[in-house]
Amino acid sequence: MDSLAAMLSNGTDWNAYQEEALAAIGAALSEQELDDARVKYLGRKSELAQALRGVRDRESGILLNGVRSTLEEAVAEREAELLRLAYELAAEAGVDVTIPGTPVHRGRLHLLTQIRREIEDIFLGLGYEVWDGNEVATVWENFDALTSDPGHPSRSQFDTFYIDENTVLRTHTSPDQIRAMQQRKPPIYMVSPGRCYRRDTPDATHSPIFLQVECLAVDRGITLADLQGTVLKFFRALFGEQREVRMRTSFFPFTEPSVEFDVTCFICGGKGCATCKYSGWIEMGGAGWVDPDVFRNVGIDPDEYQGFAFGFGIERIAMLRHGLPDLRAFWENDLRVLGQF
Amino acid sequence: MKVPVSWLREYVDFDLPVEELARRLVFTSCEVDRIVRQGAPGGANLEHFVVGKVLEAGKHPNADKLQLTKVDVGSGEPRSIVCGAWNFGAGATVAVVLPGGVMPGGEFTIEKRKLRGEVSEGMILSERELELGQDHGGIMVLSDELAPGTPLADVLPLGDDILEIETLYNRPDLTSIYGIAREVAALLETELHPMPGTEPRREGDEPVEIAIDDLVASSRYIGRLFRDVALSESPAWLKARLTGAGMRPISNVVDVTNYVMLALGNPLHAFDYDKLAGSRIVVRRARPGEKLETLDGTMRELAPEDLVIADAEKPIGIAGVMGGGNTEVSDETTNVLLEAANFEPLTVLRSGERHRMRTESQTRWEKGVDPELAGPAATYASQLLVELAGARWTGEGEVRGEIPPPPVIAFRPGYTNDVLGMEVAEEEQRGRLGRLGFGVDDDWTVHTPTWRRRDVRRDIDVVEEVARFQLEHVPATLPVRQEMFGRLKHEQRLRRQVEDVLAGAGMYEAYTYSLQATDPDPNAIELPVPLSSQQRVLRTTLAIGLLAAAQHNIDMGNTDIALFEVAHVYLPPGPVPDERWRLGGIVQGDFFKTKGIVEAVFAALHIEPTFERAKLRNEFVVGATVQSGWVGTYGPLELDGQWSAFELDLAELFAAVPERILYRDVITYPQLRLDLAVVVDEGVPAGDLMTAARAAAGEELREVRFLSDYRGDPIPEGKKSVAIAVAFQSPDRTLTEDDAARLRAAIVQALAERFEAELRA
Repeated sequence: MDSLAAMLSNGTDWNAYQEEALAAIGAALSEQELDDARVKYLGRKSELAQALRGVRDRESGILLNGVRSTLEEAVAEREAELLRLAYELAAEAGVDVTIPGTPVHRGRLHLLTQIRREIEDIFLGLGYEVWDGNEVATVWENFDALTSDPGHPSRSQFDTFYIDENTVLRTHTSPDQIRAMQQRKPPIYMVSPGRCYRRDTPDATHSPIFLQVECLAVDRGITLADLQGTVLKFFRALFGEQREVRMRTSFFPFTEPSVEFDVTCFICGGKGCATCKYSGWIEMGGAGWVDPDVFRNVGIDPDEYQGFAFGFGIERIAMLRHGLPDLRAFWENDLRVLGQF
Repeated sequence: MKVPVSWLREYVDFDLPVEELARRLVFTSCEVDRIVRQGAPGGANLEHFVVGKVLEAGKHPNADKLQLTKVDVGSGEPRSIVCGAWNFGAGATVAVVLPGGVMPGGEFTIEKRKLRGEVSEGMILSERELELGQDHGGIMVLSDELAPGTPLADVLPLGDDILEIETLYNRPDLTSIYGIAREVAALLETELHPMPGTEPRREGDEPVEIAIDDLVASSRYIGRLFRDVALSESPAWLKARLTGAGMRPISNVVDVTNYVMLALGNPLHAFDYDKLAGSRIVVRRARPGEKLETLDGTMRELAPEDLVIADAEKPIGIAGVMGGGNTEVSDETTNVLLEAANFEPLTVLRSGERHRMRTESQTRWEKGVDPELAGPAATYASQLLVELAGARWTGEGEVRGEIPPPPVIAFRPGYTNDVLGMEVAEEEQRGRLGRLGFGVDDDWTVHTPTWRRRDVRRDIDVVEEVARFQLEHVPATLPVRQEMFGRLKHEQRLRRQVEDVLAGAGMYEAYTYSLQATDPDPNAIELPVPLSSQQRVLRTTLAIGLLAAAQHNIDMGNTDIALFEVAHVYLPPGPVPDERWRLGGIVQGDFFKTKGIVEAVFAALHIEPTFERAKLRNEFVVGATVQSGWVGTYGPLELDGQWSAFELDLAELFAAVPERILYRDVITYPQLRLDLAVVVDEGVPAGDLMTAARAAAGEELREVRFLSDYRGDPIPEGKKSVAIAVAFQSPDRTLTEDDAARLRAAIVQALAERFEAELRA
C-alpha cells in the first residue's frame, strides 16, 4: 500500500494502523492478550470497523478490507503459535526422554518357526510348493517305497517308534516325497518341513522328536548339477552370498547316487574355527538323485522323469546360526530363551 | 573302522600325505572322522627309543616297590634307571626311552630326574606304555639277540598314523584294510597289490564233518583242522596292528582270526576242537530251550530263529555274532577248528537285536560280506596259524550251497553324463570301474565284482561308481522349469496369519512334545514300546504340553506367561490316526483375558465367534465352546495364580473363513447409535440378549456391542442390568429418528418377550 493511498480516508494513516496492530498481535503472550488486541484493532468498535462502515468509494473499500484481512490472518497465525507455545511449555516441564516408553505387550514366534518360514520363503522364491505331511506313516511310505533294505538298521524297533508292525512315527520327512508323487503328477517341486521321530536318547544334539525339511524336484532332465545349484542357491540365501557348497559321497536307500552336502563355515568364512571343527566346512544334510526304483514304486516313469531330493535339520541351522549349544532348549519354551530371537 | 596306515601301505603304494588322502577319500568313498597318531610321535623323537641290556638290578635303597638298575644302551656310560616292574633282572634285554623322548600321546617327555634320592636317566618300557598292547603287568622283555643301542623302531612298530573312517551302509567291502586299499588304488589310479595269503602245506587228510541245515541262512561253511597249536602271545607287529585297529590282542590264535577279519573283511572263528562233541559242526536253528554262554560271559536263551553253530550235541556259537564259552580257545588248547563261512545278513542282524549284542563280526555280516571271501580268508588265516602258532594243518571240510553269480549289467556311459549334468570321458569311466574290480566288456556290459554284488545291481548303481569320483567337479545349475510355480496354500497362509496375530497379541509360541505321559482321551494311541513313560501317548490335545511349558516357565521365575502352539494332534482310532492341525494356548489370567485373545483370532479371520457355556474336562471351572474349539479357566493347579486355556481345530476354523470379503457401504449414509440397558434375571447370558437384539433389528443393524453388566442397588436381588450399544445403518437411505425409534422398539419388545427384560429408565 503506498503512503498516498493510505492517507485517502478521513486522515487516518492506515499504514501506521496496520503496523501498530500487527505489533500488538505479535506481542500477545496469551489468548487473553491476543483477544484484547483483536477487539482493539478488529472489533466492532475499532477504528477500522467504523471506517469500513463509512466507506463509500471503491478504493477505500479495497484499502480497508486489505487491512482487515491482513490483521485477521495475523490473529489466526498468532493463535496457532500461542497454542503450540502452550504445548511446548507443558511438555518441557520435566520430560525425561530416557525413561522407557509405555510398554506394549508383544509376543514372539518360536525361533524354529522363524527359521522354518525363512526356509519356506526361499523355496517359494525358487518356485516350490510347501507340503504339509502327516507324521504317522505306513512302513511302506517310510521305508519300503523308499527302497530301504529290510535289514537296514534304521528300521529296527531300537531306532524307530512303531505303532504297529505296519505303522510308524515317520523317521524322516521323506515319506512326503512318496505321498506327493502319489498325489500329484510331475513336474513336482516341493518342500516339506515337519516333525520327525527317532528313538534317540535326549542329549545336547539329539532329541527323539526333531524337525526336518525335505526338498524334492521331479521334472524332465534333472541332474546332480541341478541339485548342486539348488543347494548352493538355498544356502547362499540362508547364510550369505559368499557361501560355497560341496558334495561328498554318501548312502541313502532312496537316492542313487547319494551325497552329503557341506557349506563353507559362516562363522569363520572357511578359515577354520570351533564351529566347523577347524575344517572350514559344516555338514548340512543328505541328498541325491532320486533312485529310479522309487519312481517305479509310485508309478512315475523314470525314463521320462528324473529328480533330486535333499533333507536337513531345522534345529541344526538354528543352533549353528545363533550359537545355541543344546537343542533341548527348543522344547523347554523358557521365555528368557524364546525372547532372544 | 580304524585303519593303521602302515597296514594300508602293505596293500597299495601311494606317496600322498595321509591328510590329503583323507581329504580325497571323503569325497569319493567314506567319511574320515580324524587321523590320530598311535604310539610314539614320529621323526627324530624315535632316536630316543633304544634297546637296552640290564647290567645290574636291585631294590631301590629308599623304596620297597622300586628297582634300581644299570642299563647298557649302547653308547656312553651305562644309565641308571629306576623301574617299578619286577618281571626282569640283570641280563634282560629291554626297551628303553632316554631323556628327551616324547611318549605316546605326545604329552609327556622323559627327563633325567631323581626318584626317591636316586637319579633315573630314562625309563624301561612296558607294552602298554608304547601302545603295543594291553599288558601292563611288567616291562617288555625283548630277544637276547638284540644288541644294546639298536634303534627300537627297527625292532618294534613304535608308531603309526590311524585313519578313523566311517563306512557307509552300502560299502561292506570297506570294512577291511584290503578293501580300502582297493578304493585308494581306484582313487589315486595306482596299483593294488595281490590279496595276502598263501596256502600252507597240508599235513594230513583228517575228515572234518560239517552239515548245514539251512543253506539260505548259511550258504557256505569251511572248517579247517589245525593240530599241535602252540598258544602264546602274538608277535609285537601283530599286536600293534590290532591295537591300532582298535582290537585287544588276546592270543595268537584268536588274534589271527581277528587280524584276517580286519585285513580281508571276512569274520572268522576258532574253536577248541577237542571240546566239540562228536567232532562235528552243524549249522542249524536253535532248538527250544537251548542256552549258550557266549564269550562275553553272558548266558543267552536262544530263540528258534537264532542260527547257531552246534556240535553233535549243543550250540557252540551264535552264527556271525559270537562264539560260546564252551569251546573257547584257552591255554590248554592244542587242536583248533577254524571257521570261515557265509552268513545271511538279516539272520545275523535279528540275532544281534534279539540278544542286544554288537560285535565286529556282526556289523560286517549285517552289511553283507563277499560270499567268495571265505576261501581267501581261510587261506590267509591258515598261513598265519602255521607261521605264528606252529600249527599243522591236518584236515578240512566244506559245505557249499548255491551262491548266485554276481550281477551282469547293460551299461551306457552316456547315462553317467545324464545323471551328473557333465561329461565324463569314456576311458575315464572304464578306468575307474576296472580299478574297482568291475569287468567292463567292449560293448559296456559291466560285471560286478563279488564284493559289490549287493550294492551294484543296476545301471544307475554303476553310474554312482563313476559319479562319486567326480563330485568335486560337478557344476552348479538350476532345473530348467517347464511349469509349476511356488506359493503357500490357503490354509498355510491362514496358519501364518494366526501365528502372527497371537504373537502380536503378546503370546509366545511354544513347541511341545507330540508324545505325552497321559492324555485325557482314554482311546488315545499309545506306543507299544515307548522311549520313556514321559513320552508314551500320541496327544489328542495341545493343552497338556502347554501346561507343562507354563509350569517350566514358572519354575524358571518367569512372569506374565502366555504361550501358544500350532501343531498336530493325533485322533484315534489307530493305527493311522486322524492328524489335525490345532491351535492351543495357555494364559496366566482369567477367562476374559483369554477369550479376548480368541476373539482377536476370529476377528482377524473375519469369523463371528459364538461362545456357549459348556462343561469342559474336570480341571476347568469355567468353560465355553466356540466354533472349532473351546476356552476355559482352570481350577486350582500346582501353578500359582489363575490360568486359562483354549484350543481350536484349524481345519474347522479355516472352513468358516469367508472366501472373499464383499464391500459394504458404510460411507454414503450416516450411522445412528444408541445405548440400551435392560434388567433381566441373573441367569440370562448377555450373549443371548445380543443375539436376540441382532435378530430383532434385522438388516439395518450394523453393530451390537456389550457395554456392561451390573448387579446391586438399585437393581433387585436376582436380577442384573445389561447395557449394550447398537448402531443402525442402511445402505440406501439416511435413517430417520422414526427409524431409530422403530428399531429400538423392536429390540426392546423382543427382549421383553424372550427374557422378560425391562427397559431401564
